[in-house]
Amino acid sequence: MVKNKPTALAETERLLALVPFITANQGISVKELAAAFDVSPKQMVSDLTTLWMCGLPGYTALELMDLSFESGFVTIQNAETLQSPRTLNLEEQVALIMGLDLLSQSLPTDSALKQNIEILGQRLSKSSRITSKLRAISNIPASMRAEIETAIVRKHALDISYYSIYRDEISQRLVRPLELRVDENAEYLYAFCETAQDFRVFRLDRIQSCTSINKVSDEPPAMTDSAAAKQSFTVRFNSRLRLMRERFDAEEKSSNSDYSQDSFSSQWLIRSILASSGSAELVTPLDLREEICEKSQLMLDRYQSQ
Amino acid sequence: MSRKSERLVNLTIALLATKRYLTKSEIFRSIEGYEGNEESKERMFERDKDDLRTLGIEIEVGGLDPLFNDEAGYRIKPENYALDLGEISGTDIALLSLAAQAWNGAALDSGAHTALLKLKSMGIESDLAAIPTLAPRITLMNEELETVLQAIANQTHVVFEYFSVDLIAKRREIAPYAVGVRNGHWYFTGLDQEKKELRTFRMDRVASQIETAGKPNRFAVPDGFDLFENMDSEEPEKLAVLDIRKGKAATLRKVAHSIKDLGEWDRIEIAYGDTETFIDTVLWHLDDVVVKEPADIRGKVIDNLKELVRIHG
Repeated sequence: MVKNKPTALAETERLLALVPFITANQGISVKELAAAFDVSPKQMVSDLTTLWMCGLPGYTALELMDLSFESGFVTIQNAETLQSPRTLNLEEQVALIMGLDLLSQSLPTDSALKQNIEILGQRLSKSSRITSKLRAISNIPASMRAEIETAIVRKHALDISYYSIYRDEISQRLVRPLELRVDENAEYLYAFCETAQDFRVFRLDRIQSCTSINKVSDEPPAMTDSAAAKQSFTVRFNSRLRLMRERFDAEEKSSNSDYSQDSFSSQWLIRSILASSGSAELVTPLDLREEICEKSQLMLDRYQSQ
Repeated sequence: MSRKSERLVNLTIALLATKRYLTKSEIFRSIEGYEGNEESKERMFERDKDDLRTLGIEIEVGGLDPLFNDEAGYRIKPENYALDLGEISGTDIALLSLAAQAWNGAALDSGAHTALLKLKSMGIESDLAAIPTLAPRITLMNEELETVLQAIANQTHVVFEYFSVDLIAKRREIAPYAVGVRNGHWYFTGLDQEKKELRTFRMDRVASQIETAGKPNRFAVPDGFDLFENMDSEEPEKLAVLDIRKGKAATLRKVAHSIKDLGEWDRIEIAYGDTETFIDTVLWHLDDVVVKEPADIRGKVIDNLKELVRIHG
């Protein structure tokens, strides 16, 4: 796990990795090989030319690796010494261990594959210098993501049941999925919603279930970045500053203790202020401020009358 | 550049192929690329050894015979060089490949990519048909992760500034035990050196760079330590009784222990950990959720509503 390795070291590492890769994939094209190693075809030819000169001391035809790539397809013989891939480094081990943990949760409890994963995980941990468990937990089922990805590729429609957190409602929608995007640590599905006859964005972790509908959907109209009406607001934080800043995504201070921000939804704003239990005060807009006051009074009255 | 990498590859091949330790003079005589006077060859060789170690290749030093005035010898043991995952099937390769693909574009992307290349170099056909169609994914980037992972592996302390609940950056020194990712956040846990207690930190609340401090091997990480198990056991669960309006609060219903039909409302029993977080969640649902028990939570909700009225009035 050496970041910004000097070129010669990165090249050496690649050369050592190339030998077993070509051995296992004899006849692969230079182009494919370059793509697999994430370098240009020109660099790959230069790598292969260097490798062509390597071998056991003596460096005669008998000791050199027998590498051929002039035809544009690569084969290698006489490379037994280097033909096994190298041991995994720390970053590779961690990536696999955590990836397996994530995968395991996506499998049904009775899946026989869980045992495979456990054994693999144990072997990887045993050879690792980290003895604690490395965990990866996601609230988005991997099977659901696969279903959405497949539907996007095949242009199938999706029947989704979606939880709107602002309205606190579950709705059933028929959508034509267009794209998965990651934004601010959350994953979103961009889709054309047949139910609403407009483009909608769905947070993956709020999709309760989804079923692919096996029909080719018509091309939806071109996606427009619809400028939903944003409303600016100002909040003042009284306590629990760290949580409040995260909740209201408030980076910039507008004055001593007031933060200004935009919101797409007054529902979200009202709920967020209530859920801050007095740690945050809505300064503007005034109509929402009044609504919060009335709502709180109403709830208070109900509590006190019971 | 290629001259140097060529020499490093040749050195690796020679040290791997040898059954006994090769002395420096043998290396200089037989491996291509060591040129110049004795001193410059020595310097070149020292640098090459360091470079191979940087790449994670273990070079053994040995072959010193006390009876003779021998030179030190060098070799690379194949068992230290080669990947050994034990007996492994096409299904296993498919699982490992899928695990690596989960990092596409995220924090451990480069390690996952090289791991995938190694899996594809093993000469075992990946049996994709044996596993269900799954697309696991971790989307988080993190710049500080590498430092923390190395510190856990080397058992070195890490030092950083961390935002307190009141958003004041405070210096922390911990012996890091484990990292984990859960629902969109990176976490790490370790023994806080000042408080002498286990503490869990969220990566995005770290206010500075994370730096290692002091020598390696300063502590022992408990075997099999599970960060999330530890985190979840910090708050013992308590039970609350809530009334929730029909058709509302789907997230609370999902985790309810029991649900009783009261007509327009349902009465649920639900477990909660941190009191503040629980009250925040209750209030998020506005007038669709009412706390019945316990009395102290109910009292606090009433106090908070009074405060909300006061500051917005």
